[in-house]
Amino acid sequence: MTSESTLFSNRWLPVLLVAPFMLLIVLFFYVPIFQAFYWSFFLEQPFGGGSMFVGLDNFARVLSDREFWQAGWRTIVFMVTASSLAVLIPLILAVAADRRIRLSLPARNVLVWPKGVAGASIGVVFAFVFNPFVGILAPLNKAFPGIWAPGIDGTDAFITLIAAHVWGGIPFNFVILLAGLQSIPRTMHQAAAMDGAGPWRRIFDVQLPLIMPQLFLTLVLEFTESVTSAFALIDTITHGGPGGATTLLVYKIYKDGFSGYDLSGASTQTAILMVFVILLTAAQFVFLGRRINYER
Amino acid sequence: MIENARSLNIVASLILLVGMVYILGPLYLTLATATQSYEFLLRNGLAWYPGDQFFNNVARIFTETRIPIQMFNSLAVAFSLAIATCILSFLSAYAIVYFRIRWAGVAFALILATIMLPVDIRVITTYQVASNVFSPVNALLDVSGLNGLIAGIFGAPVQLELSVLNTHFGLIAPLAAHGTGTFLFRQFFRTLPGDLFKAARMDGAGPIRFMVDILLPLSRTSFAALFVLTFLSGWTQYLWPLVASSTPDMQTAVVGLARLLPDSEGEVPDFPMIMAGAVIVSLVPLLMIALLQRYLVQGLVLSEK
Amino acid sequence: MNAIDTAIRAAAASITVKDLTKAYDPQTVVIPPMDVELKAGEFTVVLGPSGCGKSTLLQMIAGLERVTGGKILIGTREVQDLEPKHRGCAMVFQNYALYPHMTVFENMAYSLKVSGTPKAERAERVAAVARMLGLADYLHRKPGQLSGGQRQRVAIGRAIVREPGVLLFDEPLSNLDAQLRHDMRVELADLHRRIGATTVFVTHDQVEAMTLADRILILNKGRIEQFDTPKAIYHHPASVFVAKFIGAPPMNILAVTGDGSALRLADGQVVANAPLTGAYQLGIRPEDIVVDGKADGHAVKAALRFREDLGSHSVLAADLGGSIVRIATPFGMDIVDRLELLLNFPTSRLHLFDAATGRAIPGALGAQ
Repeated sequence: MTSESTLFSNRWLPVLLVAPFMLLIVLFFYVPIFQAFYWSFFLEQPFGGGSMFVGLDNFARVLSDREFWQAGWRTIVFMVTASSLAVLIPLILAVAADRRIRLSLPARNVLVWPKGVAGASIGVVFAFVFNPFVGILAPLNKAFPGIWAPGIDGTDAFITLIAAHVWGGIPFNFVILLAGLQSIPRTMHQAAAMDGAGPWRRIFDVQLPLIMPQLFLTLVLEFTESVTSAFALIDTITHGGPGGATTLLVYKIYKDGFSGYDLSGASTQTAILMVFVILLTAAQFVFLGRRINYER
Repeated sequence: MIENARSLNIVASLILLVGMVYILGPLYLTLATATQSYEFLLRNGLAWYPGDQFFNNVARIFTETRIPIQMFNSLAVAFSLAIATCILSFLSAYAIVYFRIRWAGVAFALILATIMLPVDIRVITTYQVASNVFSPVNALLDVSGLNGLIAGIFGAPVQLELSVLNTHFGLIAPLAAHGTGTFLFRQFFRTLPGDLFKAARMDGAGPIRFMVDILLPLSRTSFAALFVLTFLSGWTQYLWPLVASSTPDMQTAVVGLARLLPDSEGEVPDFPMIMAGAVIVSLVPLLMIALLQRYLVQGLVLSEK
Repeated sequence: MNAIDTAIRAAAASITVKDLTKAYDPQTVVIPPMDVELKAGEFTVVLGPSGCGKSTLLQMIAGLERVTGGKILIGTREVQDLEPKHRGCAMVFQNYALYPHMTVFENMAYSLKVSGTPKAERAERVAAVARMLGLADYLHRKPGQLSGGQRQRVAIGRAIVREPGVLLFDEPLSNLDAQLRHDMRVELADLHRRIGATTVFVTHDQVEAMTLADRILILNKGRIEQFDTPKAIYHHPASVFVAKFIGAPPMNILAVTGDGSALRLADGQVVANAPLTGAYQLGIRPEDIVVDGKADGHAVKAALRFREDLGSHSVLAADLGGSIVRIATPFGMDIVDRLELLLNFPTSRLHLFDAATGRAIPGALGAQ
């Protein structure tokens, strides 16, 4: 859109305008990333005792650590289940809210509220709500003792994490998907109705196909975020337990780096995680992105 | 349209009802529990109805925890982050879109790439950088051999030290190194008609004038949306404020709240008080959402585009 | 191919509307009670300015809008409470409303798929329609890859593949440029000749109405102004509204008073002999006014205000006793810059309308 005639020709002003931001980004984004990769090739002494080049030793050590692979596996499990639910549930809610019913308006208002409680606050709240002794499932525990024990049963703890994550993910995905549904022109519904498709059928033949771009976007963002954002929930609800059952990779890195002072190991794991995220994002764009875009 | 959508509408209403219960449920339980006493909790567990201990619990938050000052920190961080992001994003997007420069594409790509790796992934090394923001400078001097030269002349190499840990700036900076705002503004600028620019030039407006007199007023809604979005994000950050602050007085409210939960199993935590804390901590962002929801929704939709 | 033609011709049904009303609330009545019958196989154009209710009428026939009162019959069936798919109507939308994620083939086959037609038959019928509309080579493209005219043909194809009893068009040519609009008009006329479907075509463009319609239904604020063939509407408009709506430039309407033996203009000049008294509105089309010549009417003097030369003719605007009158000069006539014109209003070309209601008064003068 911007042709030559719609641009200013100053040379130094734009540099001046971008410089502060660039400086910030370089210092607090690119340098740390570079450093993570750099350190993964060194053995760092935590208290400033210098460093030693060790080539690929760090990688060998990390990759042969069973804990690392377990944390990685848990991360992937969480990513797949929590992200799918965090997109599926808002999708169902959005399709429901798109209909002209009385609950649509209040629902649209209420479903945005979790955005204000995000992160650790959700963790605190859910730690309480799902507490086995005083929480919402406590009566169940009184009737069938031990049936809900997130302090002991790793799966129960995992479920609590997923429930909390989905709760927090609803606003963003709901708003995006609803906006997508509402941008479908009314005449499209009318044409489909004239073709004989009833409201149920139109959900699958018209609405879902036409919001593929938005679905794709929310899925991509969700995958990336679930890898990292679970930290707040883990640190408040389960602390990685019980017995490491909810230690996802991002939590392990934190523990290794700040509690274990294993800077090299943490950096190496960080480097691996970053490469994973980048590849994941790229893969999604390459494979799915191309099939999704069509003109309205 | 004439059609029988009753079955679908009933199902849709049920779904929305369940959804709203799922969302409001925990919030209500939090509020209700915050109004009960600890003894009540031990006796009855979850509070399904409100009690009368709310102000008691709130008072205890103020006297027994550092949450009040942490609220102030959260406010400062969220507000400054939002302002800084708005300004920096606007300026950088303006530079990239409205000037004939060859490096626009590269700059934009560099900025956009920051969205892919949120701060929680790079926390380890960001912490290291924050503990000495001059470390890259030092490294550069070392690697390029300049430091050897300087050591030869002055007797000692240059080793600058400046830690921004445990400062407000340190809390904000890595969070602000994020390209969503720039992306937002760029998308917005592209929706403006090119004739606007040409008319301004005919009127003799230079780049600064154009930015201040024309672009800024038009971007009001984008600013509002970005501000709300970033404020909420800043308020609810956890991992970075956790590691970047070493004293409770520098922590943000969300971190302080999480610290109220005991680390280990043992006695039942004082949930009424903690929930009261949760209510207080969430009050500001929830209020923001209630009042400025329009901008929030706009922001979410714009960022999708 | 003949199979489709005959099928549609056979399916064509009449549309009858009785006491039909549409009101969004007691204050907003869009269509006061309306009665009209459209014959089977007829091409009816519903014409009128924005907001006259023409689209609402169409949507009520289609089942996309509820009726507030009255009945709609398609053939002999009462359909006003039926869903669109049970009415046997097909519609071509203004923006085509093609499914962007489906191919041309899938777009056209969709209604058949929904109604459970077997796959082989679907393919056959779509292929036949595609051939008829020149779309056979585009069946595997998506709408985004087609031009405006092609998209419209797909929209039409989607409608006729169902062999509907009634074919509805909602301002389908408004989004096309002038040349394409002209070409599509010809194609539509051709199509109608071939398949003979009962067609209801909504538009605000009088050229489309005049060229395509068997009969034109002119609506004004929900009321029927006139329902007749294009020729009748042009030569015998039933009201001032119709007279001014059809024809470009529109018919001149002058306020005249009858003194018992002649009709006079505001400045006293006699414009016609007639045994009438009282106030009337007098109409004459720009091309019927004779300049400087001899005709069977009265000559009046007018002051020339403005002239536009369009190549094939000129349009003059003259001040006649305070009102502006437009005259279309015949080809070749040379109008040098003059200040005063001598205009002749042939009595046989005059139209008389009631001063208050605007309804035509036939037979009072020559033309009616």
